[in-house]
Amino acid sequence: MKKLLLFLLIGFIIFSFKSGRKSLLTIPSNWPALQYNLNENPLSKEKIELGRALFYDPILSADHKVSCASCHSPYNAFAHTDHALSHGINDKTGTRNAPALMNLAWQKSFMYDGAIKHLDMQALAPISHPDEMNESLHHVVEKLNQSAFYRKKFAAAYSSSIITGEQTLKAISQFMLTLISCNSKYDSVMNKQSVFTEQEENGYRLFQKNCSGCHTEPLFTNGYFENNGLPVDTTLNDTGRMKITNNSADIYKFKVPTLRNIEFTYPYMHDGRFKKLGEVLNHYTNGIHHYSNLSEKLNSPVILTSNEKVDIISFLLTLSDRKFLFHPDYSFPNSLLTATNK
Amino acid sequence: MNLRIYISLLILPFLSTAQHSLRFQPLFGNQPLELETKIYSLHDTDSITIDVLRFYISGIELLQNDKPVWKEKNSYHLLDASQPGTLQIALSTPEKIIYNAIKLNIGIDSLTNSAGAKGGDLDPTTGMYWTWQSGYINFKLEGKSTECNSRKNEFQFHIGGYATPYNSLQTIRLPFSTVQNTITIDLRKMLLALNLKSNNQIMSPGEPAMMVAQLLRQVINSVAP
Repeated sequence: MKKLLLFLLIGFIIFSFKSGRKSLLTIPSNWPALQYNLNENPLSKEKIELGRALFYDPILSADHKVSCASCHSPYNAFAHTDHALSHGINDKTGTRNAPALMNLAWQKSFMYDGAIKHLDMQALAPISHPDEMNESLHHVVEKLNQSAFYRKKFAAAYSSSIITGEQTLKAISQFMLTLISCNSKYDSVMNKQSVFTEQEENGYRLFQKNCSGCHTEPLFTNGYFENNGLPVDTTLNDTGRMKITNNSADIYKFKVPTLRNIEFTYPYMHDGRFKKLGEVLNHYTNGIHHYSNLSEKLNSPVILTSNEKVDIISFLLTLSDRKFLFHPDYSFPNSLLTATNK
Repeated sequence: MNLRIYISLLILPFLSTAQHSLRFQPLFGNQPLELETKIYSLHDTDSITIDVLRFYISGIELLQNDKPVWKEKNSYHLLDASQPGTLQIALSTPEKIIYNAIKLNIGIDSLTNSAGAKGGDLDPTTGMYWTWQSGYINFKLEGKSTECNSRKNEFQFHIGGYATPYNSLQTIRLPFSTVQNTITIDLRKMLLALNLKSNNQIMSPGEPAMMVAQLLRQVINSVAP
């Protein structure tokens, strides 16, 4: 009898330990499989909180003034609003608009040109870029090792007395993995918990007909690189995916972004050229430049009346997820406010 | 009595595993390479110094008549010519093992390249992982030559790339045994072939990086220590 109880107790502990890890992430039941391998970076509350502190801490930059949140603001779905091109250290302006961060566990690659293959390595790019944070991971790790605040947090997360680059990157990943947006009106309609208005319903129908090829549900991106006919901005000459593959067939292709929370992530496109959603729709109906490698999904012209455009926009507004925007676990952590000896 | 026990405990680890090892010896011609201060010459009319030489060795296997007899686990080593301790790799093989060849990679395999953050020699803080694009730098060679028409006469070769068609990993097989366990890399031969007058910078994957990676095969050899 005692042995049975002991066995059950151990089994219960193992079971709750295992399900505890996964429950740190809200994974909607009907979504595709995760791209991120959690086995390589098992989640824990301590690592997530550590990653959250690092995300909001300008210690990652050379002048201690730029943090991840400087370009990825939580109240704008972690995008950089109001700026066509994002700026970093010393107000240096970059060449692209910082993308919104959500549902990253489902992404196959990162950056508009897919330069980064794994979420863990994403932070390296802005940390090291001279116009963004102008630091090096090596130096960041040195600074963290000199901080009593971080030594304590890393020890709690990793049970080790030395902070490494691997731990730093993996902790930031863990926080970013928790940024899941799946509670918009659209989601509750799909879960049969509410209904669209007539206008939203019409917009949804038009969206499925004209936009779903690239902006595929439920992530609202197919994750591929497409040329959507944006005439090249000759002040930037951004060749997009071709920068990485050196393949001319990839010129002006950019990764399809998600449309979730699109209400909050203006301006739009990789260079932020469109301030309003109306402009985006006008591009698709009247502005497409027919490059030879234009996405096949745009082979047929997109024809919409102005009323239909309004309907589509009203549908797009149903992708707004205020629970995500104001989630208490995603915003600036109190621990950073009280941290001394930094 | 205690002292005897203490000493035998000290010796014990060395008795239980065989002392098979591998040593890398960077050369300039037939001389051991000296970094930074030593001024070499390729064509008598030029002056050249080598400032940085770092590369990854991975996937070490020992072979006997072409058949693998031992494979190293977690086989990733970062070798740095400025840190001689990193140029010697202990091979924790079983004691009685016979081999006459070694197989190894210069660089990191594509699976590890696309994976998440790793530690130890693979930690991105080593400065051997590209920040602006994913991927390890397999081989890094930097220096100065009067033949380079670049800023400060610098040459910088950061050789990487793991995705087809620019996978620059080089798998090398060499004769190898307990009496022939030093692997040399002749940088004089390599720099001559690189032609510094026209090539002084490679910083991304592509054809030029592939050519330099393939050059490595011609300048690497195994000798008795």
